[in-house]
Amino acid sequence: MEFLAFLVTQCLNALSQAALLFFLGCGLTLIFGIMRIVNFAHGAFFMLGAYVGYSTVHWTGSFWIALIVAPILVGGFGAAFELGILRRLYGRDGHAFLMVTFGLTLIMGEVIRLIWGVEALQVKPPAGLSDIVFILDEPFPVYRLFLVGSGIVVALLIWQFLERTRLGLLIRATSQNAEMVYALGTDVRLVRSAVFGIGCGLAGIGGVMAAPLVTASLGMAPNAVIDTFVIVIIGGMGSFAGSLIGAILVAFVQVFGTYYFPDFALAFMYLIMVTVLVVRPGGLLGKEA
Amino acid sequence: MTGSSGVSRRTLLGVTLASPVVLRHALGDEPIKIGMPCALTGPAGEVGEQMRRGAEFWIKSVNAKGGLLGRPIQLFAQDTAGDPATCVRKAQDAVERDGCRLLFGMTLSSEALAVVPKLADWNAIFMSSDNGDGRLTGSSFVPNFFRANTSGPMGTRAVALYLRTAGFKNFCALGMDYAWGHNSIGVFKDEVKKSGKNFIADIYSPIGTQDFSTYITKIRQSGADACYLVLQGDDNNAFLSQAQQYRLGDKVQLLTEIVDLNSIHAVGDAAIGLIGGSRYTFTFPGDANAQFVAAWQKEYGVVPDVFEGEQWQACQMLQAGIEKAGSIDADKLRPALETVEIDSIKGKVAMRACDHQAVQRGFMVKVVRKEGFKDPIPELIATFPADQITPACRQMTYDT
Amino acid sequence: MRFAIAAAALLALLPFGLPLYAMTLLTEALILGLFAMSLDLMVGYARLISFGHAAAYGFGAYACGNFLLHTTMPLPFAVLLAGVLGGIVAIGVGWVCTQATGVSFSMLTLAYAQLLYAVAFKWTPVTGASDGLAGIPRNPGPFGVTWWSTHAGFYYLALAFLLGAFVFCHALVRSPFGAVLRGIRENEAKTIALGYNTRRYKIAIVAISFGLAGMAGALYAPFAGFANTELLFWLLSGQVLIMVIVGGAGTLIGPVLGAMFFLYVQQKLSSYTDSWALFFGVIFILFVLFLPEGIWGLVLSRFKQKPV
Repeated sequence: MEFLAFLVTQCLNALSQAALLFFLGCGLTLIFGIMRIVNFAHGAFFMLGAYVGYSTVHWTGSFWIALIVAPILVGGFGAAFELGILRRLYGRDGHAFLMVTFGLTLIMGEVIRLIWGVEALQVKPPAGLSDIVFILDEPFPVYRLFLVGSGIVVALLIWQFLERTRLGLLIRATSQNAEMVYALGTDVRLVRSAVFGIGCGLAGIGGVMAAPLVTASLGMAPNAVIDTFVIVIIGGMGSFAGSLIGAILVAFVQVFGTYYFPDFALAFMYLIMVTVLVVRPGGLLGKEA
Repeated sequence: MTGSSGVSRRTLLGVTLASPVVLRHALGDEPIKIGMPCALTGPAGEVGEQMRRGAEFWIKSVNAKGGLLGRPIQLFAQDTAGDPATCVRKAQDAVERDGCRLLFGMTLSSEALAVVPKLADWNAIFMSSDNGDGRLTGSSFVPNFFRANTSGPMGTRAVALYLRTAGFKNFCALGMDYAWGHNSIGVFKDEVKKSGKNFIADIYSPIGTQDFSTYITKIRQSGADACYLVLQGDDNNAFLSQAQQYRLGDKVQLLTEIVDLNSIHAVGDAAIGLIGGSRYTFTFPGDANAQFVAAWQKEYGVVPDVFEGEQWQACQMLQAGIEKAGSIDADKLRPALETVEIDSIKGKVAMRACDHQAVQRGFMVKVVRKEGFKDPIPELIATFPADQITPACRQMTYDT
Repeated sequence: MRFAIAAAALLALLPFGLPLYAMTLLTEALILGLFAMSLDLMVGYARLISFGHAAAYGFGAYACGNFLLHTTMPLPFAVLLAGVLGGIVAIGVGWVCTQATGVSFSMLTLAYAQLLYAVAFKWTPVTGASDGLAGIPRNPGPFGVTWWSTHAGFYYLALAFLLGAFVFCHALVRSPFGAVLRGIRENEAKTIALGYNTRRYKIAIVAISFGLAGMAGALYAPFAGFANTELLFWLLSGQVLIMVIVGGAGTLIGPVLGAMFFLYVQQKLSSYTDSWALFFGVIFILFVLFLPEGIWGLVLSRFKQKPV
């Protein structure tokens, strides 16, 4: 394989991975930025998205419907959890949220196992996306290109949502000064529920998109949690742009690092994380010092 | 009652009440207790579930025929979540609290390695049905450990023997970056060199890798015409799915140490064309297997998978040993087990006294689409005699 | 303090009534109790939430395992030495982690723990890689004492370490050093304004905490007879944090109770159902919602004593 083809395919590999990481990281950073909640259950919502996606495809035969249904259901469940449980904990210590979301991870993991069983489940990519294209004579899956495209689209959508819509404005304002927003007459609690729901919904859509690559399985949650934390910390807790940068950085380092230094594959992410945190404790674009 | 199925309890009661022996021997007929700490949740959950099901099926059939040595069998299956510390705790409970003298389970080799040093103190015998680590009958051998299943080296050996006559010349290997991956690829590398072929590169992926694109690129670039895979569970599923998406199979033949139905079910058509060793497949020939598969299908509605079959074989061997010894006492059972020989679902299987490894044949399968089955199935393509497959006593590698 | 003495007496007498397997479980509970208590120093007294405490535990286990396997060092010395070693290494870790505060601090501890996990996974000569160290012996103590090879013997050894650590921690938090920690916990800015180099205090408490956790891990290795990478995994860090919170942070005794509670519930639940993780999660959430001061915090408030 000549070098240019190698470089291009590896970059595309990294971008497709970055897209999935971005879905996860963006949701988590949104939740942290607005609510100061470290959502330990984020990986579980990701996993739930994959399983809901599986069932939707199973019943309707359509992957596209799953892409719509899964984030709505998963996000809805997230919002409901925020309403029912998390809401009681505002004003308490940060580690209360941590414990509760850790407990939620345990519960969700087990409930998913009870409903869908312990075996991994196949989610096929839609027929239109199952093919390959030849990039400089090397085969490359169309589905991964779809991932890259979706990542870009979602990033743009969220950016516009935060910049242009009323809810987006409220979200940004709440992250800076929740009391003021409340004093100005907005029910901050609704904003929070919405944000938690959106964050979980993003994780859910990430799960559906990841499923054709890795199958829907119970191991998804623990793997996702650590990855997501690393990205968000590197990019800066609460920074949307940071989660994008973090995802891309981590993906590229993983893909090229694993290629040239396979022995350190496991350690890479943490090395970056430590380096970034030591140099800029708030993350690359973060506000929290 | 912890862990045993409701059926056993009813059967126990039925057998006890129905037996006139009870009236005469008021103190006898204490159930034979078997402890089974295994991974029922967590990444190895699929395997542990199969093992438990296999044991329950055996116990049900034995108890229905009046039990073992006239005594009903009682199973104490507990979840370890694949954690060695929990496994030791559960095994301890089984022995010290529940009074088990016999043990099954211990899904992961790391769990087994943590527990076996304690078997002597407990005076308990452990019959393994899935632990593949070569050291369990080698450097980590203890007298109370018995392995009824195909070990890792034996699985690799089957693949290697098959490749001697297949057309491939250049090999690479991809394995999970821990003991099993390294040991298996080590044996494979050795075998390739012995057969005069070319081993190009070995690659290791961290456990829990989700994106295999880089590894697929490496395999493609290596110039190999066949690649030996030592992957399991989620990693295996992810790799096979993605390899198919990159059409890797068009260029490189994928070989694997173990082929199992769970994985095929998870990846569907992506598994077609895979060639690998099989510790057990429902398509194995012989009457014993045909009967087992039919009975299993009647009970569960599906065909049995790898570890269900292996567990059945392990149970059969234990049963033969106990019947031969007339006792479950470790000092009497051990010598009996050392010379036990059965007509198993895999053909003739005999336990070897020097390292407690069951000597058995090796099988190669290829995953194909077949009429009448929803998923692709593993089809038998080669069988190797037991003496060629099983390594020498306490060894993990082969001389010829 | 009265409670502590009463509890210690109770624990000392328990083995006389218990069957073997229960004593084994209780021994493990004591070891985990020491582990949780060490974390309480950071979490309860300095509000430094460590997500990487398993690293200290695993480090201690591997260090002690190596001492016992490759030398004839008596067991108690191996445990102590492993703990001290862990504490010294933790000075460096503490220095790095305290560059940040708040959530970033916690994340750094997590990163350090995962790094150690990754290293241990590959470093075969010292850690046995993914297999871990097996067959760790309980080396005879000074003067040829072999008491800890028995169930009861090891139980009392673990109890001795736990009580010794408790006395040390109790004295520490009541000392001027402890007062500064409380200052850092309540209002770090003010404490700095008062002229204290809070960073040094933080590093010190990290080192002490990690050292004690290392001692707990060092006890675990000969107890179980093995050490493996699971001891370094972040799941264990999460579990010990739960023990501290459920038991009652900032009380020293609470986390020990939390550890016992956790182990007991896990054992009991998992013998009744495969879905034990589900009930576990529900119990935690209920604790956080309705009993945030933890078991011991509740007991103390009933007796109108405020946790220090």
